[in-house]
Amino acid sequence: MSDIVVYSAKKIITMDVNRPEATHVAVRNGEVLAVGDARCADQWGTVTHDDSLKDAVLMPGFIEAHAHMMAGAMWEYAYAGFHDRIDPDGKLWPGLTDIDAVIGGLSDYAQGLDDDAPLVGWGFDPIFLKTERLSKKHLDQISTTKPIAILYSNLHLMCVNSVALEMAGFDHTTNAEGVIKGPDGTPTGELQEMAAMFPVMRRLNIDFRGLSQKETSIRAYADVSRRAGVTTVTDLYSEMEEEDVATMLRVTGEDSYPLRIVPALGAMSGPKAIADKAEALAKRSTDKLRLGAVKLMTDGAIQGWTARIKSPGYVGGQPNGIWNTPPEVIFQLVEELNSRGIQMHIHVNGDEAAEVALNAIEAALRKHPWMGHRHVLQHCQMMGRDLFTRAADMGLCCNIFANHIYYFGDQHVAMTIGVDRAERMDGARSAIDAGVNIAIHSDAPVTPMAPLFTAWCAVNRQTTSGRTLGHAQQITVQEALFAITLGAAYTLKLDREIGSIQTGKRADFTVLGDDPTKVDPMALKDVPVLGTVFGGRVHLL
Amino acid sequence: MKPRLPLAVVSGYLGAGKTTLINRLLSEPHGLRLLVMVNDFGAINIDADLLAEAGDDTMTLTNGCVCCTMGADLYMAIGDVLDRDTRPDYLVIEASGIADPARIAQVAMAEPDLVYGGIATVVDGQTYASLVADPLIGAQIERQTSVADLVLISKLDHPDPALTLRLGVQSRAAVVDLAERNALAPLLFGGAPRTIPMVKGQAHAPYVTWSSSSPIQLDHEALLAKLNTRPAGLFRFKGFVAGPSGRGWEVHCVGPAVSVKPISQAQGTKVVGIGLEGQINPEQIENWWLD
Repeated sequence: MSDIVVYSAKKIITMDVNRPEATHVAVRNGEVLAVGDARCADQWGTVTHDDSLKDAVLMPGFIEAHAHMMAGAMWEYAYAGFHDRIDPDGKLWPGLTDIDAVIGGLSDYAQGLDDDAPLVGWGFDPIFLKTERLSKKHLDQISTTKPIAILYSNLHLMCVNSVALEMAGFDHTTNAEGVIKGPDGTPTGELQEMAAMFPVMRRLNIDFRGLSQKETSIRAYADVSRRAGVTTVTDLYSEMEEEDVATMLRVTGEDSYPLRIVPALGAMSGPKAIADKAEALAKRSTDKLRLGAVKLMTDGAIQGWTARIKSPGYVGGQPNGIWNTPPEVIFQLVEELNSRGIQMHIHVNGDEAAEVALNAIEAALRKHPWMGHRHVLQHCQMMGRDLFTRAADMGLCCNIFANHIYYFGDQHVAMTIGVDRAERMDGARSAIDAGVNIAIHSDAPVTPMAPLFTAWCAVNRQTTSGRTLGHAQQITVQEALFAITLGAAYTLKLDREIGSIQTGKRADFTVLGDDPTKVDPMALKDVPVLGTVFGGRVHLL
Repeated sequence: MKPRLPLAVVSGYLGAGKTTLINRLLSEPHGLRLLVMVNDFGAINIDADLLAEAGDDTMTLTNGCVCCTMGADLYMAIGDVLDRDTRPDYLVIEASGIADPARIAQVAMAEPDLVYGGIATVVDGQTYASLVADPLIGAQIERQTSVADLVLISKLDHPDPALTLRLGVQSRAAVVDLAERNALAPLLFGGAPRTIPMVKGQAHAPYVTWSSSSPIQLDHEALLAKLNTRPAGLFRFKGFVAGPSGRGWEVHCVGPAVSVKPISQAQGTKVVGIGLEGQINPEQIENWWLD
């Protein structure tokens, strides 16, 4: 048998301007050998034809350029969110859209648990349940013997039942800030922030550290990615302890592991120490584990009123947000990392945070000019044309949080920044017009990983309520598909290897059931993902 | 059952002198086994010799959580300490330069196995005024002092009464110039100092201590009411208070903060109080408690 396999497809969307469409792709040693028709590889010698994908549409493997490995591991717990979601095994978890549904759904789940196992849920979002707050009263209907803790989607709150309250010693005498009490003076079950959640988490063995470092998490991440058609994914804030690196190298190194992971080391110590560690990690990169980039935090989140935003601030008059890294440290980190030739991914939600990051990069580039640094601003939610232009001037990439428009757009109009600024949020149009190379992202597990859905958000800008939030910032389907393939590859400095189906690149494809360029743009999110091809290996769902 | 672990948070902006303070605490003869947890950007400068000498311990933390402000690692590390076979006598957390110390200290209010040891915020006396006026970071720094139970001013050659007044109004806490104290452990950890180290040229013992053992019994409500009328200047008040039907309470007051947690078997009522000399005397504490 020949070592050249020619796959036929209904259509191949290559994202390569030289041959935008094809019907066949030839693969040898995990690499694209030729693209074209059935005879495209004939001059290379004997070929084997494979028609197993002949009814599918192939695209370059999707790239999720901002997500977290926790996205796979959260599924160890029961999903209790408002929106439908699909787990790594392909099971649909219908959204729980009112309190009765939450009680019913979790009761069913509890049936399948061991008698002594706690019931832990995640993804609950009180914003969507307007009638009443979730309380112990509701959760006690599920069980009065088993401890129950339901984590909210923002991970800052949880609600627990009476058994869990008792285990944590919470009663009418408790006077901790986040232990919320009702009119009768007893705790309602709602616990706000880690300090109040900790006593319950400790007794129920809920440990966030394990969620992103275990072998099962790395495998679940591949399952989540494959279902979304993703062949290269980021893990954008990784601690990279020696033990974690060894585990990741081992698991991703298996031939059958169908995913390339690009972790970014969290900048959580001094500039020099982080730069040293990033350099050491870069030397250990493999094809499927690309090490060496660094992630910087700056501000918080807009929906939590912790993003740093410019005047006139939040519409409710809330105080400006908080810095998770002090501005002077941002300057120090950026200068050191830039001078050492280390690519940075910088979290910026609010426009003030974006401006501080841009100032820091500008100062660093004046001291240590670097053509082709491709530092990336991440989220970029409130950047306007002016800030995008500065980003373009300096050769920065912007990875825009398009999913936010759907999931939080209505809340931003009503509660955080008001309609005029919400309509220009996540402004992909302005960014592209300013000349910025963009990617778009899900920030999974904050929102579900699904690049076609992310593209749908950037194209249609529809919110949960069905409102179109800012026509002026819509982009075309072609632009959105570029952003989840070649655009995203560029932000990871991987455009030489992935992002398009082109001779010499990795044979990473997304296998689709329909043509995303031909469906109604409103149906973009519904184009079925059938699986992936990774390095020439087919991984159908 | 293992004794509850007291937790104190040392906060302050970058360069305020948090690490210097901790090194000073480590060198004082307080007789406590400390565990120091450091959660900050930048190099760790805790004096290893001091740690080793006292059989103390240190842990370095990162803040590597997906969610930018949750900081779950810190809490998980606190859980690890609580699960140790032998707990240290005191847990001191050096918060990051931009952390809100109240978010950390609240865990000692909530967790049954911890007791609240208070928030000590270190303020650089030379730079504070300009830092809090900074449009980017000012409000966040001001928050660190406004939630403090104890404000410690560092880096001044001579006390600055205007700054002391300003910080006192802002925080409702005791404000102390570090140059004026030779023993810090009583402030940070409560408990009377075993010996007051004598520093050349500074011979004062600036603390007032008081203790009481009595048959007093108070229920939860009466105890809270009592604590709410404690005299100003009583900086720390702690101990065990017997309640009705054999149960009782473990009490810790630091500055404006009050923490009361149940104990299953009270061994009578035994409490101690500490204040700053010149602000209170033992008779005042005695009169209040026995009133």
